[in-house]
Amino acid sequence: MNNNQIEKLVPVFSAAFAFIYIVSVELNWALFTYHPKIGQWGWLVEPSRDGPPMYWYGWLVTSTLGASAVSVITWPLLKNRPTQYWLGWTVPLLVMISVFYFFRDFFLR
Amino acid sequence: MATFLVILHGLLAVALLGSITHQAVAVVWPSRSKIGFANAYRAVSSRVYVNANIALFIAVATIGGVVYPTYRVWIRTYLENARLFSAVGSFEVKEQFISIGLGLLPLYWLVWRRAEPAGQSARTAVTLMLCFIVWFSFIVGHILNNIRGLFGL
Repeated sequence: MNNNQIEKLVPVFSAAFAFIYIVSVELNWALFTYHPKIGQWGWLVEPSRDGPPMYWYGWLVTSTLGASAVSVITWPLLKNRPTQYWLGWTVPLLVMISVFYFFRDFFLR
Repeated sequence: MATFLVILHGLLAVALLGSITHQAVAVVWPSRSKIGFANAYRAVSSRVYVNANIALFIAVATIGGVVYPTYRVWIRTYLENARLFSAVGSFEVKEQFISIGLGLLPLYWLVWRRAEPAGQSARTAVTLMLCFIVWFSFIVGHILNNIRGLFGL
């Protein structure tokens, strides 16, 4: 796989990253949990040990691994097609718009 | 230490804000003439900002990630007790936008690496999206950093 071929995976990675990220946030698919008050880490989603748990780092890792996997899996479909630049920004744009919907409760209280 | 990192986070964010705004303006409103401040501002080579913007975005997000636990334990609890839910929600939106921005960086690098006509719309779109993310995050971070003064708490 040369550089030109790897470049075809980049828009897919960005699109998949955004999509998997927002799904991870909504369904809480964190690969690990950080407990900031006591400075401890735990695998997957853990309830609070002491103080509020943080899942953001876990969501980022889930999304990175997931998007990498999607990029590799879709490679046979993409290798003979032109680079799908549009995919890489339209999906993240839709996800950004959806963020306001998913977090609307904070602004409607 | 957290105070130092928040100040560093803010200073690097200012640099990123200036850099990506300059690039975005040059992309959507280019100029060939360099006569006068406005034309000179628009006439820059957009490509030269790419690596700096990527490095600054990663640096700002990383430092933000390091100081985030302090916010989560102390600041957010304070905001919730003060019933400032819009402020909490704004930070939540910022957090998600930064993550999406991190995922966009490889595409941002790719579309600016080659000046292919096929990538022109993606080049404009990704640059404007990152510019929006940086502005939104900067304003939210700035308001939260000064929220006690702004709301008289």
